[in-house]
Order: sequence, then structure tokens, then C-alpha cells
Amino acid sequence: MSDTAPVTFTLAGILRGLKRTAGLSVGVFVYGAGFGLMAVQAKLSAWQAVAMSIAVFSGSAQLAAIGVLNAGASSLAAMAWALVATILVINARYTLFSATMRPWLGALPPAKSYGTLFILGDGSWMVSMDAYERGERDAGFVFGSSASGCFVWFLGTWIGAVAGNIVPDPQRLGLDFFFAAFAAAMATGLTRKRADIPVIVLAAAIGILGAGMGAYGSAIVVAGLAGGAVAWLRTPADGATR
Amino acid sequence: MNNGDFLILLAAMAVSSYFCRSFGFFAMRFVQITPRLEAALRATPLAVMSAIVAISVVRGGPPEWIASAAVVAIMHMTKSDIIAALGGVAVIALLRTAGA
Repeated sequence: MSDTAPVTFTLAGILRGLKRTAGLSVGVFVYGAGFGLMAVQAKLSAWQAVAMSIAVFSGSAQLAAIGVLNAGASSLAAMAWALVATILVINARYTLFSATMRPWLGALPPAKSYGTLFILGDGSWMVSMDAYERGERDAGFVFGSSASGCFVWFLGTWIGAVAGNIVPDPQRLGLDFFFAAFAAAMATGLTRKRADIPVIVLAAAIGILGAGMGAYGSAIVVAGLAGGAVAWLRTPADGATR
Repeated sequence: MNNGDFLILLAAMAVSSYFCRSFGFFAMRFVQITPRLEAALRATPLAVMSAIVAISVVRGGPPEWIASAAVVAIMHMTKSDIIAALGGVAVIALLRTAGA
């Protein structure tokens, strides 16, 4: 294991990251377009929709925010607080994601680490953690794998906002399943030893329980913490066997 | 929406969004990364992915169940997660078209 390899941030790493997530771009684009269309239907202009995609950069949080905007509020301040609360709940998983990035991005100067975290997405977090597990230590990979999603998300939002009708219905194409399918494929690739099974079973059970209560966002965070706890408990304090 | 109001709401959204993205990383600065903690952090992605899949399977019906099984099978065969995910999407699109 190259655990002691120094952390770098190079153009080659950025390009590797871009290439790794290029295949995800189609799904991200169509979803961005879906958001752009919903945003103009909620009386936002095209530039406002794109500004929201840049500022929030999270499909689930943006769709929920549109719901809040549509619902209306008694004052501008009330609306702002409702949006803050919605985004904090839906994006709570990013707190967990960014915490797991500490051993890797923590070696970088703050401008690079915090800049990279600004564009981190669900997909790029997954492929980055997978790459780290396989020995990747070039943090440019995290930046590159995140940047490709950013670009198509903004472009998709804009096209959806100005020409929403030409974009196909994601559900009809099965693209609403794309993210879960990608998670299933990544999990299959990451499962290598018998000791992984308790992590999977416990996390899946928490996911099912959370889905039953309609608390999807929290279920994902709790499942992540529970999986981490299992790994913590089975690792000796001196880390003799990983 | 008028631009003045929108900019205030946009700022609120941007700050809360970036808070989530950076807080975990920032807080970990004050925690020593022991071998046990590193193992815990590295196990987190598999747990998160498992939960995402479980939620999708529970919320979906037979098309999602069949397509999820197809993803695992294609992943074992091709070792390419993108091909496996696109294969799953193709399976679900076909099943939906067929009215399953």
C-alpha cells in the first residue's frame, strides 16, 4: 500500500480525474437540463437558474430549493431561512464526504483543498475515494473528477432553462436510476473481502429503515457513520491489519 | 423573481451549501488521524453506496430490482462501473417501455 506516498496536485492528476468521470457526464447533463426547466417554470430567469447551479452545485438540494421557492414565504428573510434549513438537511452528507477527504486533501494548501471541496459532487467523491483506495495520491484527481461534472451541470442548466422542451424526459430514459446504478457498480467494485459484508448489510438496513421513514438524506449520513464505526471496531488500535 | 431578492436568497443558498462541503474537512483538522479513524473513513464510501442502492431498491419496484441485479452482474463481467451503470439504465428503460 502506498500510504506514505506524498500527496501532489498536478495537471496529470486533473486529467486522470476528468477522464474518469467523463462517462458520467451524460447523466449529469440531462439532470442539469431537467433542473433548468424546473427553475424557469418556477419563474426564475435562465441566468438565475445557472447562478443557482454554480452557487449550490447539488441536484437534490437545488430541486428541494425550487420546491421552497414555489411554496412561497411571508417575507424575504423567512424564505432565506427556509432555503438555508433545506440545504443544510439535504446536503448534510457533504459534511461526511468532506471529513473523509481530510487524510488526502489535508496535505494541500488551503486554497487548493477548500477550492476543490467547493466543486466536489456525489459522483466525484465516490470515484475519488475509490481511487484513493487503489493508491491514487494526486489530489488533482479529485479536482478533475469534480470539474467535469461542474461544467456539464452548468451547461445542462442553461440549455434546460432556455430550451427545456428539446431535452428528453430523464425518467423515460431510465436516467433517474443512473445514480443508484453507478453506486451499485462502485460498491460491487469496492467489495473485496469478507469483512466488507457487515458494513454493506448494516448500511443497507439503515437505508431501508430511513426510506421507510422518508428520511433519505439522514439515512445516508447515518449509514456512512455506521459503516465507519464497524471498520473502527474491527481495526486494532495500532492498525496492524487494515 | 427580481434580481435584488434573488441575490439575497442566492447568497443564503451558497453559504449553507459551502458550509456543508467544507465543515467536515475543517473539523477533522483538530482530530488526529489514527489507523482506526483512517479505516473508518475509508469504509464510509462503501456504506454510503450500499445505503443509496438499498433506498433505490426499496422505493422502486421490479424494474429497479432486476436492473440493480443486472448492474452487479455486468460489473463482475466487465469491471467497468460506467458500463455497468449504463447497462442498468438500459435495462430499466427497456422494462419501463415494456410496461413492467
